[in-house]
Amino acid sequence: MDFKLTEEQELIRANMREFARQYVDPIAVEIDENSRYPAEVMAKLAEGDWMGMPYPQEYGGAGVDYVTYACVIEELSRSCAATGFTLSCHTGLASGPIYYFGTETQKQKYLAPLCKGQHIGAFALTEPGAGTDVGAGSTTAVLDGDEYVLNGTKTFTSNGPVADTFVIFAVTDKAAGTKGMSAFIVSKDTPGLKVGEHFMKMGIRASQTSEIILHDCRVPKENLLGKEGQGFRIAMQTLDNGRIGVAAQAVGIAQAALDESISYSKQRIQFGKPISKNQAIQWMLADMATDIAAARFLTYYAAYLKDQGQPYSKEASMAKLFAAEMASRHTSKAVQIHGGYGYVKGQKVERLMRDAKITEIYEGTSEAQRMVIAGSILR
Amino acid sequence: MLNIVTCFKWVIDEAYIKVGASRELDLEWADYKLSDYDRNAIEEAMRIADIEGGTVTAVTVGSSDATKGIKDALSRGPEKAIFINDPAFTDLEPSQTASLLAEVIASRLQYDLIICGEGSSDLYAQQVGPRLAELLDIPCIAFVSKLDIKERQVIAERKMEDGIEVVTAPLPALVTVLPDINSPRIPGLKDTLGAAKKSVISIGKEELTGMAKPHLETTAIEAATMERHCIKFNPDAEGIKQFVDALLKEGVMG
Repeated sequence: MDFKLTEEQELIRANMREFARQYVDPIAVEIDENSRYPAEVMAKLAEGDWMGMPYPQEYGGAGVDYVTYACVIEELSRSCAATGFTLSCHTGLASGPIYYFGTETQKQKYLAPLCKGQHIGAFALTEPGAGTDVGAGSTTAVLDGDEYVLNGTKTFTSNGPVADTFVIFAVTDKAAGTKGMSAFIVSKDTPGLKVGEHFMKMGIRASQTSEIILHDCRVPKENLLGKEGQGFRIAMQTLDNGRIGVAAQAVGIAQAALDESISYSKQRIQFGKPISKNQAIQWMLADMATDIAAARFLTYYAAYLKDQGQPYSKEASMAKLFAAEMASRHTSKAVQIHGGYGYVKGQKVERLMRDAKITEIYEGTSEAQRMVIAGSILR
Repeated sequence: MLNIVTCFKWVIDEAYIKVGASRELDLEWADYKLSDYDRNAIEEAMRIADIEGGTVTAVTVGSSDATKGIKDALSRGPEKAIFINDPAFTDLEPSQTASLLAEVIASRLQYDLIICGEGSSDLYAQQVGPRLAELLDIPCIAFVSKLDIKERQVIAERKMEDGIEVVTAPLPALVTVLPDINSPRIPGLKDTLGAAKKSVISIGKEELTGMAKPHLETTAIEAATMERHCIKFNPDAEGIKQFVDALLKEGVMG
């Protein structure tokens, strides 16, 4: 058993830390305030080959393992959770299904520009009436000659307003239930695809989220991802994979909350001494550090299992569940440690608290994770 | 085409150093990093090589703990590295490091230009560069904030206290650079992955003629402390006089 990262993993982590300090920290407050997409950071990420991390070099990726990927998402999220998520959504949710289920032609045409960062990807699964209940989706795809005709509305599509390539899920056979769902690769300029309402969110505000409206959107037959009826499986496998990214994001948020809390509590003087000398504060910091370490190892373990080709669905859910809930809990504690100052806009802990909440909701709510875990242990 | 050599040191990252109750340094949790100014040196070597053409070789002296440092250096562009590696090569003083570098560089490398950082992040003795130049019997230009090569001449701007001095020297020459000279790159993902595939020549103690004895003996290392007093002065004429007297007494103002 070896808990040590390799030298390459440590260097990659340190390089992403430096990247985030140099390019992300200076704009993090502004992009949150204005809900602005950090296009300049995404371009820099593309320059540094960070956009297709786990995919093979033949598609423009870097071919690194998922433990390394988790380290990178954590470090980027430590500076800005919205930027971290924009990258993990692009890499895990959008590029993932094309890599795992796409044909060679689809990979060359769609995955390669995503890995090189020339295109941004989005994953359109959720609908107004189908959140955790993925199978209740009502978007339809009807084969008409050489094209599928898509109709329906997707909601809460992360990266929706900025994406070039979408992986969209639609029902091809209503009678077949979840086995009647299929996945399609759709370019943003396909007639009939429209970006709908942009959502103004409580947290991860620089991550762009919108509705995607499909009105007689004609998608070439060759853009079917996998086989007809395989959509539910593609979605579930992609979400398993994505959960490692969200867990890493939550660890990064919590680590940032701890960093801020340590620094603030050492310099904040009350009753003639730094508040870090008070046991009440020390216990909060100790609990934070302990939970972060536990969440980080759960995340690495899920990533390690995936790297080994072993089943990792339960572990990814555990990592995501634990990391998300501890991030919410401890960012709230971090605001508490900062007192009134922590409640003021522009203070990092205020943003962290808002950013942490989403990790309990997207890519499967905490309740959905518990369903996955319970289903696995009660088998 | 230039043969450029850049020297670097793998040092303790000061961010991880803790100070104990009696001012001793706690290095138990210390991580290492590429010395800050050496990043500038490597970057400058790559910049000159891009313009003039040529090869860049990174050289370091250390123990096997520094293998990560070799990868870090190579991820910043050099084609190959020379690792002067022995368990004995830790905590060397600058004269010893310079003599090891000089022996290896003189015997194994062709060089036109050697670039070092002005000083290391840990000791900042600023001696290895000038001593190395002396041992190789080549010109040395220190405090360099701008560097150009023209017709086999180094043209360097030296940042002095009272202004900028522009000097030239024929190649081969050694320069030590300040952080103002460039912004070191942040290696991308493929740069780091590619570094592991580059050539590293390891040279052990037994392959060298021997290491000079140290001129200095380190008797102790303690954290520096900054004395702080809290003295309050009234905002009136008498208070200001007392304030000035206090500054004079402390030697802050003279």
